[in-house]
Amino acid sequence: MTSTLKGITLKGSAELVADFFSFGINSILYQRGIYPPETFTRVTHYDMILQQTTDPNLKNYLTDVVSQLKEWLFECTVQKLVLVITSLETNDVLERWQFDIECDKSAKESSAPREKSIKTIQDEIRSVIRQVTATVTFLPLLETPCAFDLLVYTDKDMVVPEKWVESGPQIIEQSEEVRLRSFTTSIHKVNSMVAYRKTDSF
Amino acid sequence: MAEADVEWELSKENIQPLRRGRDISALHQALTHLQDGDSSAVNQQRQAFETEVRMYDGDDPLDVWDRYIKWTEQTFPQGGKESNLHTLLEQAVARFTNVEKYHNDLRYVEIWIKFAENCPEPLEIYRYMQVQGIGVRQTSFYIAWSEEYENQGNCREADLIYKKGLQACAEPHEKLLQFHKALQARVSRQVMMNLEQGDSDDEPKQTERVHLADLKYKGKKKAIKPINRTGSAIRNVAGGLQSHSASVQGNASQSRLVIFNENNAHTSCPPEPKLEAWPALPTIKAKENEQRPEKWCNVKVPLKSKIGHTVMAPPPSKPTFQPFVEESDEPPTMTPCKINPAVNKVLSLRKPCSLWRRVVRRDCTQAVIYHFFLCCFSVWFSCFFSGHILLALSKEMNLLGWM
Repeated sequence: MTSTLKGITLKGSAELVADFFSFGINSILYQRGIYPPETFTRVTHYDMILQQTTDPNLKNYLTDVVSQLKEWLFECTVQKLVLVITSLETNDVLERWQFDIECDKSAKESSAPREKSIKTIQDEIRSVIRQVTATVTFLPLLETPCAFDLLVYTDKDMVVPEKWVESGPQIIEQSEEVRLRSFTTSIHKVNSMVAYRKTDSF
Repeated sequence: MAEADVEWELSKENIQPLRRGRDISALHQALTHLQDGDSSAVNQQRQAFETEVRMYDGDDPLDVWDRYIKWTEQTFPQGGKESNLHTLLEQAVARFTNVEKYHNDLRYVEIWIKFAENCPEPLEIYRYMQVQGIGVRQTSFYIAWSEEYENQGNCREADLIYKKGLQACAEPHEKLLQFHKALQARVSRQVMMNLEQGDSDDEPKQTERVHLADLKYKGKKKAIKPINRTGSAIRNVAGGLQSHSASVQGNASQSRLVIFNENNAHTSCPPEPKLEAWPALPTIKAKENEQRPEKWCNVKVPLKSKIGHTVMAPPPSKPTFQPFVEESDEPPTMTPCKINPAVNKVLSLRKPCSLWRRVVRRDCTQAVIYHFFLCCFSVWFSCFFSGHILLALSKEMNLLGWM
């Protein structure tokens, strides 16, 4: 039904972007082996097969994050979402997946839908997720058991909600950064980037 | 920038993932070189490394090799023959086999591991390393060895390898313990999964491959080998030639024929690899008829003389058989006569001979061949003509300075 709609509203856009993060984060966790592959199940979304976790704790956590994120997206107060992968043993940050979110705040005033078909948006999202998958070609192998953390950058005057704590940026020193594709719903624009530890120079 | 980003994604199938990751700028550079077909810069760099390897005169010759290998990995993301990585690893590994101080140098051990991973039989290499004492105090050696066993589905051996490492007090100790624990966790999780699957039995149905048609039987025997392509059997096919002892046994129990294996009759369990002297590296390439590069300056190629005749490099000194000669004949002399310039005038009158003579004069060695040919010819002739004709002929030839 949605595919017949020609335009997109702020609410729809927030939902789409939140969905993208849900699948994107799942995808990264699977690709990078943060959780054992057996705990994932295959689902079809965006006309492609994606991996989704079946671990109940992780599922709850992600649902919480994504629903909170959806609110912020709707209010256009979120700037960045960062997935940080740290080594369990040493607490070193090994990888940093950063998604910069540009919100078009004018969409809050005018409720008129923007002209962009959902199919085009999904195509863009698909290519971002494909690229995330393809990054294994240059990312270093994560040899040690790792944990992940999600950081969300919001506007300054926001009240920190329950279950959320303030945190530092967790930047990797001497990192290599690779910009990935971006997509836009014409209200929210998401630029993705991955940073990882530089390989020893030769 | 944006274009370069697309570039790595477009060639993602041609980029081999590395354990230590890739330098993104080196990757971009390599991919542009690959597309342009411009390899001069790469060749220059390689030349520089080659020179350094040869000319190095310090305390740490391994350093050059280490940098050279890492550079090769980054510069040739697609691997393959032109990267020359395999040969390079082989050379590096062989170069320092007798250098005791490198045996437990992490860099050297890592080169060995890369070399083993490039080989069709990595386990053999690891065993060899153990016998030689290479890497026996390095944790990464045991990790690589154990992972290889695990990949082949032999978790028990994988576990034993870690125990070996703990016995040998490999360093860093923490890392070894951690990887050992991780292996045990993986194995126990797998066992749990298998138990769960045994109850629900959902998974195999999903992965089962459906055959298109039943096999037809011939003759009286109506037994058909059951088609069973699930679980490890599928993985076996995908894995190429790796033989999987467990699945082989599984198949054997289903088929009617029990194949007798005389090796199994003697020893039920595979014998412990003996830790005896193992001087030579196990053969890596099973390639036959491979021509090794060699010196070419002593090899002779048949040359063409000016007139276009092929010059035989060593002239046959003697015929291998003795031509039959009638008793009345004098045995023909084998050495070519020196041609008297005075006779040439006479010869020049006769047309067919003049051409021959010219050849002879140019190349005396050829006279031997012609001479020999004439002898044979005369023998053949003697079968048909009476002696005196031949005698007259040969006399005439003698007169002309031919014999």
